[in-house]
Amino acid sequence: MAKKEKKKKHNRRHFIDRSLRISIGLGLAGLGSFLIKKSISKEYVWQLDPEKCIQCGRCATSCVLTPSAVKCFHVYDMCGYCDLCGGYFRPETKKLTTAAENQLCPTSAIVRKFVEEPFFEYDIVEELCNGCGKCVKGCGAFGNGSLQLQVNHRLCVNCNECAIARDCPADAYQRVPMDDPYTFSGYRNKENKS
Amino acid sequence: MFKKGYIRVLVLVFIFIGIVSFLWWFTYDPVSDFTTSVPGLDNRPAKNPESDEIVNIGERFDEYLSLTSSLTGKWTRFRGADFDNISKQDISLIDNWGDGPKIQWTVNLGEGHAAPVIYNGKVYFLDYNEAKKRDALRCFSLETGEELWRRSYNVHIKRNHGMSRTVPAINDNYLVTIGPRCHVMCTDPNTGEFLWGIDLVKEYNTEVPFWYTGQCPMIDGDLAIIAPGGSSLIIAVDLATGKVVWETPNPDKWNMSHSSIMPMTLKGKKMYVYAAVGGICGISAEGNDKGKILWKTIEFSPTVIAPSPLILDNGKIFMTAGYGAGAILFEVKENNEIYSVEVMQKYKPIDGMASEQQTPIYYNGFMFSVLPKDAGGMRNQFVCCNPNDCQNILWTSGKEDRFGLGPYAIADGKFFILNDDGTMTIAKASTEKFIFLDKAKILDGMDAWGPLAFADGYLIMRDSKTMVCLNIKKN
Repeated sequence: MAKKEKKKKHNRRHFIDRSLRISIGLGLAGLGSFLIKKSISKEYVWQLDPEKCIQCGRCATSCVLTPSAVKCFHVYDMCGYCDLCGGYFRPETKKLTTAAENQLCPTSAIVRKFVEEPFFEYDIVEELCNGCGKCVKGCGAFGNGSLQLQVNHRLCVNCNECAIARDCPADAYQRVPMDDPYTFSGYRNKENKS
Repeated sequence: MFKKGYIRVLVLVFIFIGIVSFLWWFTYDPVSDFTTSVPGLDNRPAKNPESDEIVNIGERFDEYLSLTSSLTGKWTRFRGADFDNISKQDISLIDNWGDGPKIQWTVNLGEGHAAPVIYNGKVYFLDYNEAKKRDALRCFSLETGEELWRRSYNVHIKRNHGMSRTVPAINDNYLVTIGPRCHVMCTDPNTGEFLWGIDLVKEYNTEVPFWYTGQCPMIDGDLAIIAPGGSSLIIAVDLATGKVVWETPNPDKWNMSHSSIMPMTLKGKKMYVYAAVGGICGISAEGNDKGKILWKTIEFSPTVIAPSPLILDNGKIFMTAGYGAGAILFEVKENNEIYSVEVMQKYKPIDGMASEQQTPIYYNGFMFSVLPKDAGGMRNQFVCCNPNDCQNILWTSGKEDRFGLGPYAIADGKFFILNDDGTMTIAKASTEKFIFLDKAKILDGMDAWGPLAFADGYLIMRDSKTMVCLNIKKN
């Protein structure tokens, strides 16, 4: 009888002890597998392919954010630094000055800076860019195509179903790995991606 | 008593809040953080310091070899002797590339798009020597590719989508070139002797076009015809002396374009047609009114004009340009020596025949061109139209055969069409449809835009850094 009681007492303590050990073990294993899974599995985000983009303007209006999370990015490696920039100036501009009436961008989001004759640098002001793509169209038609639209992942809320992707007539939106979220065309180096 | 005082205080508080609100509303500027886009924000200096550079045109001469050739073929200027880009020499040329292109010789060049003239077995072109920073008129043997001599002068040119981009003009005794920064030079093509030079920027206040000079000089009889576009719209220079014989005033202050002067004869009256940045004009080329503006129009005046006017029949002229400008078809009419211009068609590149860089070809009553990038679904296709209706494209080379900004010409009843990447396509010069014959990658290619030159069964072509001479004679 006494032997039975001793065994029962021992079993309960042992049970609690074992339960705690198992719980901690399972917890650690679960946490470990979660971390391993997270490190090896890829999460995806939305991005547009500049090769397919037709600069229809819907990136500016279809995004759930206002202004849109789609912005113009300047791939400086591809830029010709032209005085007459097809992305900055309206077609048939007579005088190449920074006057508002000469600018193609509806929000003046491109800053033109003199480098040396006859070269100029063009920078995008992210806060002003609404992703309309007018500059991208001008640069692609008459220049090297260094202005490119991309979803800015510092702004994008990564909707499950991207509203722009749904409206895009060129089917230019795709899911890309989160660790490589930009798809510039041309020869922009990866280390230059912003 | 207390209630009345309370109400009074409350009213005073409301009045005070109302006054403060009004003052805030009245003084608040909702656009205070806006910036005004005005000229000058790019900090461009008022004057280009390079304009003070002293250039001694034709100062250097280097002779390497002498040559006597039995060849008699000629390609004497931009678009050939008849300004039509059609080789008239009666030599059978290849229909296909067979085992591959027969490259006669190759020469490395300064970056650019300048193209040669060919004259009795010699090849001449204005190169830019990037290492020594010189415009260099170089003379080669057509058959061997050996350099015979070069006439050069120091001038600082920065890389800007190429440096050199003109074609000389030549006759038996004179060879005229225009350099990237508007330096006109005349030499003896037989000896390389320097005859005279004109700095158009210094003497005519010419504004150097974007990406440097593209205008190719014209030789007409004893005169060199040049369009400075500064203080004088067009000048005629005596080839023997270098003296300006006549000049056309430039009252509208039109600027030099990349376009070249084209001759035209309307009802027996010879004139020069020039598409400047500002407008298109016709200048009398003969009679007592030499140099007088006979007609002009500002109906088509893009900021950048690379193609030259295409002279059609009966006073019709087709003019096109890139950067979204499109094209215009107009007719010059004459009545009792009074000239007028009637626009027949004017449209954007998506709506008809257009070109960004090369001048279309008029052949057997039809026009041929490669459409620009902004021409919609037919972009970059080689197309044909009837010049009476340039908005009706009759046929195209199709989606599979697209081209770029490279040149195209006709020789021995065939189109030779060069793509940007150095691929040369041969197609039958048919007005019915695009008949592809063969193509071959000839140059490594980048920006293979320089015009083609044909003579004695040889074809000279280039990309931005290399020129090749091909033997295209049919065996």
